[in-house]
Amino acid sequence: MTPESTSDAVTPLLKIGGFTKRFADVVANDDVGFDVRAGEVHALVGENGAGKSTLLKMIYGVYTPDSGWMLVEDHEATPGSPAEARALGIGMVFQDLRLVPALTVTENIALAMDTGWNLKLDALATRVSDASQRFGLGVDPAALVRHLSIGERQRVEILKVLMTGAKLVILDEPTSVLAPQEVDALLGVVRHLRDQGLGIVIVTHKLREVRAIADRVTVLRGGKTVLVGATPGDYTDDELIEAMVGRSVPPLIALRDAVDTAVPPALLMEGVSANSDRGHQALTSVTLRVYPGELVGVAGVAGSGQRELCEVAMGLRDASAGTISVSGSPVTNPKTAATAGAVCVPEDPVADSVVSRLSVLEHMPLDGRPIPASGLGVAWALIRRRTDEANAKLGLRMAPKHRKLSELSGGNIQRVILTRELALDSTLVVAAYPSRGLDAANVRRTQEVLLEARSRGAGVLMVSEDLDELMSMADRIVVMHDGHISGEVPAAAFDRQRLGQLMVEGVS
Amino acid sequence: MSAPTDVMVAEPQAPDPAPAAPARDERWLRAGKLAVRWIAAILGAMIIFSVLVSFQGANPLEVFADMWVSTFQRPRSLTEIFIRMAPITLAALAVVLPARAGMMNVGGEGQVIVGAVGAAGVGLAFDQTLPGGLVMVLMAVGAIVAGAAWAGIAALLRLVFNVNEAVTTLLLNFVALDLLLFLIYQPWRESAAAQPSTREVAVAAQLPTLGSTGVTVGIIVAVAAVIVLGWALTRTRWGYRLGVVGGNPEAARRAAMPVTMLLLSALLVGGALAGLAGWIELSAVELKLRPGFGTQIGYIGFLASWLARHRPLPVLVASFVLAALSVAADSLQLDSGLPASTINILTALLLVAVLGWTTMKGKKT
Amino acid sequence: MSIIIDVASGGVRGGTSILYAATGETISERAGVINLGTEGSMLAGALAAYMVSSQTGNPWLGVAVGAFAGALISSVHAVLVVKRKANQFASGLAVLFLSLGLTSLFGSSYVGKTITPFTVWDVPLLSDIPWIGPILFQQDPLVYLSYLVVPLVWFVLFRTRAGLLVRTAGERSEALTVHGFSVQRVRMAAVIAGGVLAGVGGAHLSIAYTNSWFENMVAGRGFIAVALVIFASWSPLKVFGGAYLFGAALSLGPALQARGYEINQFALHVIPFVLTLTVLAALGRRTISAAPAELKRVFENAPPDP
Repeated sequence: MTPESTSDAVTPLLKIGGFTKRFADVVANDDVGFDVRAGEVHALVGENGAGKSTLLKMIYGVYTPDSGWMLVEDHEATPGSPAEARALGIGMVFQDLRLVPALTVTENIALAMDTGWNLKLDALATRVSDASQRFGLGVDPAALVRHLSIGERQRVEILKVLMTGAKLVILDEPTSVLAPQEVDALLGVVRHLRDQGLGIVIVTHKLREVRAIADRVTVLRGGKTVLVGATPGDYTDDELIEAMVGRSVPPLIALRDAVDTAVPPALLMEGVSANSDRGHQALTSVTLRVYPGELVGVAGVAGSGQRELCEVAMGLRDASAGTISVSGSPVTNPKTAATAGAVCVPEDPVADSVVSRLSVLEHMPLDGRPIPASGLGVAWALIRRRTDEANAKLGLRMAPKHRKLSELSGGNIQRVILTRELALDSTLVVAAYPSRGLDAANVRRTQEVLLEARSRGAGVLMVSEDLDELMSMADRIVVMHDGHISGEVPAAAFDRQRLGQLMVEGVS
Repeated sequence: MSAPTDVMVAEPQAPDPAPAAPARDERWLRAGKLAVRWIAAILGAMIIFSVLVSFQGANPLEVFADMWVSTFQRPRSLTEIFIRMAPITLAALAVVLPARAGMMNVGGEGQVIVGAVGAAGVGLAFDQTLPGGLVMVLMAVGAIVAGAAWAGIAALLRLVFNVNEAVTTLLLNFVALDLLLFLIYQPWRESAAAQPSTREVAVAAQLPTLGSTGVTVGIIVAVAAVIVLGWALTRTRWGYRLGVVGGNPEAARRAAMPVTMLLLSALLVGGALAGLAGWIELSAVELKLRPGFGTQIGYIGFLASWLARHRPLPVLVASFVLAALSVAADSLQLDSGLPASTINILTALLLVAVLGWTTMKGKKT
Repeated sequence: MSIIIDVASGGVRGGTSILYAATGETISERAGVINLGTEGSMLAGALAAYMVSSQTGNPWLGVAVGAFAGALISSVHAVLVVKRKANQFASGLAVLFLSLGLTSLFGSSYVGKTITPFTVWDVPLLSDIPWIGPILFQQDPLVYLSYLVVPLVWFVLFRTRAGLLVRTAGERSEALTVHGFSVQRVRMAAVIAGGVLAGVGGAHLSIAYTNSWFENMVAGRGFIAVALVIFASWSPLKVFGGAYLFGAALSLGPALQARGYEINQFALHVIPFVLTLTVLAALGRRTISAAPAELKRVFENAPPDP
């Protein structure tokens, strides 16, 4: 249990060793250790569920390790709370940003600062704007956070962490919500901070970013460290990938048959405009065709109108202009869409599709089709049989039928929704982020199911934030930018840089 | 290590076994814990009540003894409990149904009053000309329509103008009360000389009693409503849909359910049930409209619904308990010299205990 | 023209108890908790103030104890809702019933007792201003106190650290947790602070406005206060106008009757409630979108508990 004597020439900002954390019978972290020096960027990589967030939460004092030690600038210190971690100079920028949308930037920063009873907002705003200039963050102190883009919010979080005196900044998957060009801007900020002598831990699962920014890399797999503080240049891409996933993943083989465009499209949208929940125009004259047997990918920065696009296609959102039809039948409400054979995997299943106090079985009739009737009641026996068939057909190993959804994790909920929707005989599949929250095996199975739907002649519209996923599966990718389709790229011409430009600038 | 028993919860990743109910031991354990909590909650409420009453110089033991004797041992008191229970049960169902659909009907009080006003309007207009049985039925219809219409105002505000129904139903209670007072102070007043009230409805239009018991058929109506509603909520597609809407309206909308119609139906049927409560209160208990008519039946029904956690059959038990307490309240005044509304303390403490200390939360896996 | 001044000054006088309660409820709702028990806190405040000022002859002591009683009642709601996660509407009504029972038990012997009430005190000079003087500056001391308290609440909510914590609790409570604050403590404090002001509102009713105590004397003012907060879109300063409007509606009846107009009093009594409903309907979607985000969750989905 005693810290090893450090023989390194430079004293690390942070050094941990032997971190172990168990949840019930799952070992989330098993004897994990690494160190971060001042003036370096240390990448922490690993798959979902590799134990990265548990590790971060222990460093940040959210969880207490079952065993292990931690040195901050050579002093033993294991924070018991985030406040203690901050006092030690450790700052954390979470993936789901913790800002309050209804407050201004200054007020959000005031929350984190020791201001005294009177906030003195004017004086604080000046300090915010000074610090923003010093660190090159370009943050407007008077702006309401609600009005900022994700990238801007991230910079506010970073500024907040810096203004509270952090010497070590931990960024938890900061790039997962950003477009490629925004990623570049963020990496620029990170370099700037490194040059000012801060230690940076950046969590990512993207190799490109490791290559672009990391001085050293630590790889976690299944709760254990596979590589500790390695220099990325010493390893090939394949070696790093294998360290992360343990086995090399064969690329998904997506056979792309020629698409017959003479038949009526599975989804036809012509000149469709629609408003967001807040009443802003979220879609501007979108024209889109998805043919039977075609998988069309939708790329775009988060919040570019993907949600509204899916909802309009499913009749869930009224179009302010234009027409929508599924397999030739006009769509005006959820019922017409369902009757025409559309199914949908929603963007946020917990908010959109889950009734927490009902069981898995009781979720099965919620597919937009008429509820199987038995007299005035529901034909549960029939639904039970269909559910077993669907489960066998999809192979996503859904939770038992009697389990309440309130007892299930996000990934298990996603599998319930996927099983229900994708087992239906459909003409159009609208899938928003279908592999969210799933482990590697289920991600692959879900992708296979979507490709199967395509091969049996359904049109598939698939939204994803993972360009690699889209590029490996889609016949065509349409890119959304600020509510309109900024470009359309066929499979043969897929190119990351071009897609990125369409996402961010709306032109290529 | 002992062999795994059926107490273990199946892993979600495991292949799907037959949909088994939770294991028997576990269910008994839960039921046992729940029972202990309920008993503790009730005892706690009684103890606090005793302390408060003793502050006012009354001996709590005597108070409880008087309440017990007058509630269960005087000949007419059980009859009285059943008479009071009927409208409370219906008013509670008026909360249960919207709650299923995720809505909070705090307007039972107003819906009961307006239901009674509707019944009285029909009754006073026709009881001299039409046969009594027919008038009785027409009065019930009038009450149902009036109660539903009153809830319909809140439904309209919610569904068209997006105003929260808990706030509107509450405010409508005060409007209903003013409507009642307006009517009995002027247009429907029996005589300017006497206390403001309407005249009594004709005997033939009053609710008959069950045999020689003195209990009116109101209780039959209430029990029938509980059974029908219990069946409708658990066994029909309408009940299933209401449950989905109440659990997550967005999920219901995405499942192509007619969400607006479902919400409307829940509030309207709820209002109709409260209206029926007003009819029973009028034609079985009060016989005429007067100031203070049906006081707090709606609120007591609200409490009963929450005590029963919005389940129809337990509503019967909760309504019985609250009806008994309201009979006991009279004894507080007569025997112990305490104001009758002192009983609200006990009622409220009971609900506080039930709201705060009888829930059990599960864990995610 | 005297009728306009009568109605307006009556509006200020009669609206002040609602003003206090609504200002308190604003604090509570800004923290994400709606408190129908405001009515109960007002009742408790009214009785406590009445008892104390009848026993001691000191109305200021009455106000202090009234505020304490209001806080006590609201703390029951706070514990239920914040600590025990009970449904906010059900808990609020339970608390109201508790207060109804308690005040009738302890208040029965005070019905008809005489007290030393607050008396009208004309502010020198200001009370001589035509129109404004008689409306705003020929009032009782609790009215003047409200001129200070309400802007103070605004300042606390929007310019101090305590207010920032309250607003964060109502907008996004995880943000508090992240910074090491206890959401529960902030909410408890906000609800209890709301109870303090509701208690003062009740005290104004019993020892400055009606100068009497009777069972259930608050008669829905607490509920009006809750509705008022919504259409003042959670701003303490906007509560002023709303509260006085209600006070004016209440004083219209007596003013007309004093001038010999024959009016069914219940037709007038209903005006504030109908007015509230109308305004809520007119503002409808617009107001609810201004609601604190966590409060919106309470409004939009109030599912049965288990």
